Amino acid sequence: MTRRAGRGISLSCEQVRTVHQPPPWRPAYSLDQWVAKEARPISLRQLMVFGRTLTESRLISSANYVRTELPTRLAHRIRDMQTLPYVVVTNPHISQVYELYYKAFEGLRRIPEIKTLDDNQRFCEKVGQNLQEHLTVIPKLAMGVLECRDLMRPEDMDKFMNTILRSRISRRVIAEQHIALTETFHSPHHFPETPLREAEFVGEVLVKCNAQEVVMRCGQEVASLASAAYGPSTLLPEIRLTGHLSATFPYILSHIEYIIGELLRNSLQGLVEKQKSNPGPPTQPPPIEVTVCEAQQHVIIRVSDQGGGIPQDILPHIWSFSKGPRSLSTLQNLNQVPKMAATLQELRPNHPSPLSPPSPSASSLPKSTGTPPTKTGVLMHDSSLASLSSRDPNLRLGMGLPLSRVYAEYWAGSLELHSLEGYGVDAFLQISKLGNKNEQLTMRASMDAV
Amino acid sequence: MTFSRRPLRQIPILNPHHSLSRRFAISSHHSRHPTPSAHRWSHPPSSTVISDDDVASLASKPLHTLSLADLVKHGRPPLHAPALFSSANFTLSLLPIRLAHRIQALRNLPFIVVSNPNISKIYNNYLHSLSTLLPYKSKTISTLEDEIKFTEVLADLVNTHAHTIPTLARGFLECRKYVNPAEVTRFLDEHLRARIGTRLIAEQHIALHMSSQPHQHPDSKDQIPDPSSSYIGVIDTALEPASIINSCANFVSEICELKYGVRPTWIIDGEPNTTFAYVPVHLEYIITELLKNAFRATVESGKSHEPIIITIAAEPETTERGSAVLDHNRRLENGISSESPESASIKPFDDPAPGVTIRIRDRGGGISPDVLPNIWSYSFTTFSDADDFPGQTPGSGNMDALNVLSGAGGESSSIAGLGYGLPLGRAYAEYFGGGIAVQSLYGWGSDVYLRLKGLGRPKE
Repeated sequence: MTRRAGRGISLSCEQVRTVHQPPPWRPAYSLDQWVAKEARPISLRQLMVFGRTLTESRLISSANYVRTELPTRLAHRIRDMQTLPYVVVTNPHISQVYELYYKAFEGLRRIPEIKTLDDNQRFCEKVGQNLQEHLTVIPKLAMGVLECRDLMRPEDMDKFMNTILRSRISRRVIAEQHIALTETFHSPHHFPETPLREAEFVGEVLVKCNAQEVVMRCGQEVASLASAAYGPSTLLPEIRLTGHLSATFPYILSHIEYIIGELLRNSLQGLVEKQKSNPGPPTQPPPIEVTVCEAQQHVIIRVSDQGGGIPQDILPHIWSFSKGPRSLSTLQNLNQVPKMAATLQELRPNHPSPLSPPSPSASSLPKSTGTPPTKTGVLMHDSSLASLSSRDPNLRLGMGLPLSRVYAEYWAGSLELHSLEGYGVDAFLQISKLGNKNEQLTMRASMDAV
Repeated sequence: MTFSRRPLRQIPILNPHHSLSRRFAISSHHSRHPTPSAHRWSHPPSSTVISDDDVASLASKPLHTLSLADLVKHGRPPLHAPALFSSANFTLSLLPIRLAHRIQALRNLPFIVVSNPNISKIYNNYLHSLSTLLPYKSKTISTLEDEIKFTEVLADLVNTHAHTIPTLARGFLECRKYVNPAEVTRFLDEHLRARIGTRLIAEQHIALHMSSQPHQHPDSKDQIPDPSSSYIGVIDTALEPASIINSCANFVSEICELKYGVRPTWIIDGEPNTTFAYVPVHLEYIITELLKNAFRATVESGKSHEPIIITIAAEPETTERGSAVLDHNRRLENGISSESPESASIKPFDDPAPGVTIRIRDRGGGISPDVLPNIWSYSFTTFSDADDFPGQTPGSGNMDALNVLSGAGGESSSIAGLGYGLPLGRAYAEYFGGGIAVQSLYGWGSDVYLRLKGLGRPKE
């Protein structure tokens, strides 16, 4: 079923590409109605608390939240796109995204209220299918934005891109969270009315995400990918971890893995390239130094490398999706990536998709059982990290940093970067410890309500 | 750690070659103006007679955007008399306009602010300095005699304004109830930046004067400046940041030992041998401010055993060449020949040299999120009435040990505790297109990034 849907999309791609037809006019009435509704933001803490004690009625109310929330948020984004210049929306990539969004909106807004577990089951199937279909959105958007870079002011383009990506994350988080909760509910290990206190995961949220473990795991993956790409003779830097290594915080594992993975990739790439440009026999590159710093309200992860820094002509554009001296080569590279999911987790080519109809399958087992956190993490996400290797390290997509920042800011954190040109780069990822009682809901709300 | 450690005082800012400079040095000791009594709020009558028309007509002239090429265009010292005269006349063409602009800005402040004794004093200093320059305005300096007198006037100007910042700071602190912080911040930002340029112009001519041929002391041949010296006036064309860092760190750590009984250590890594063209006094001021913060945090958080790590990064030459090619292309596109010297006049020098980034990394616990937003603001904006005025109650919480030490860059010690260190440091860094960024890992330490654009190398 999923596969069929995928083929349908690629077919429509070709159509649009050959015919270059702009999206059709549609009566605006139903969209207007949904645009008028405000998004109801949710926080990580709410996601966790809600999923801790899972009952049938809670699951149904979660389903109805997602049922009304998805079309609302889609409607806002469709309206955003409708206000872009005509010439931009008629770009083949952008119009494909527009059509995907409209199709999803039309399908979701018609779903009647969910009253039974069977209703919910069908709903999850529908939502899962949608998530699958939208995997092509990010590379399409990225290509569209690059192709239209002379048609709009770059600041406006980046603003549009940031908004649409952040909204996409928000929709996927609530959809995946609901699907994961449904899986947990139907798992044979789940006893209704029993609080899942010991669970490491509540739905998609890893309650005690350990910075050290994430860094080590991503570091190993990035290193093995690099040695496959550059050849075993290339000396790779070690990763040196210091600081508050026991720090934990609730987070969605795939999000932090994406950010840390991109940061380590950049560092490693810089070091390997610097080494290659050096004449003479290869020498052991200096280590990538990762410092974890924990305070009451945040965890900061600093990644310092000596990979030579970022040249002055590129530095001003590192956070832009559309601008920069490398846009052309980026565009070519993006053409080679048909499906780039926003998170590594979304890319699970050889594994049953978590988004497919939930069943008490093996994939949901580790979530509700009390396996040790490391093991759980690896089990659940090794396939997602493996997908990282499907991308050649030389394939610069030009969106690792801006997309990572979208993720970091989505969870009320920040991502900053300082370049010491000629020496190296320091990247600072700040994570808000949203799990504690000082969580700033208003801040979250303003971020989520975009 | 085998870098040459030059004591701060030896850095030849004003080489005491000439009797003139000796006199300045002595007079500077006595030029400390008594702080006007805080109780006397009357407007002190100005001792100088200067017509409003003079100020208005000068202030209506546009400010010349100063480039470094302007300051070195008279050639490498020792200058011959004609070059020295042209430097003097160039200086004379700039300074009165700059002073008039400042006078205009001060006049536009609210009455209650300018009638404050401190601010009024600064206002009168500017009027006075302008009046000393005006007699030269109508003539061209073409004799050594005139040039000496003019340089004396410049030296007087530099001395008179040495204490501008602490005085202004105190004045605005006293007036903080009556003024809008944003307005004062804007005024101070502009004023401090303008002042950097004005002092640079004056000090450059004084330095060129000192090292010029006509003013060499006939008896002391050994004091003739080495023609291969890297200095052109106040600019060092081969400044080694590592040696400045070491001398400033020595200075700051000595104070730490004196006041706290511990002496934090520091390590310089990256490329310590790199050199670039810069104004040493500016770099000294910035580095001293940044090191004071790093050392203080390190000592106060009990991490004195953790060395402060200072990384010097030098931009590779290749990227500069790349951007030079870009510039070249851009110029060609605009139909301007890249050979034309005018097209490059905005740049510091014709031959751009790579810049330097200096990272100061400490383990002093970082900056708390409440404090972080205010680190760049002048302290009067965050002072509450309950706070003691810094300096008035020595030994109180506001006067911590490290703030007592004077800024190495010629800024007076009385800025101490007024919270002007970081904003002023940033003003210096930004003056030639650089900048300072602070990244706090609260709970661990701070990383401070000082980026300085290469001023390039002058064409010989």
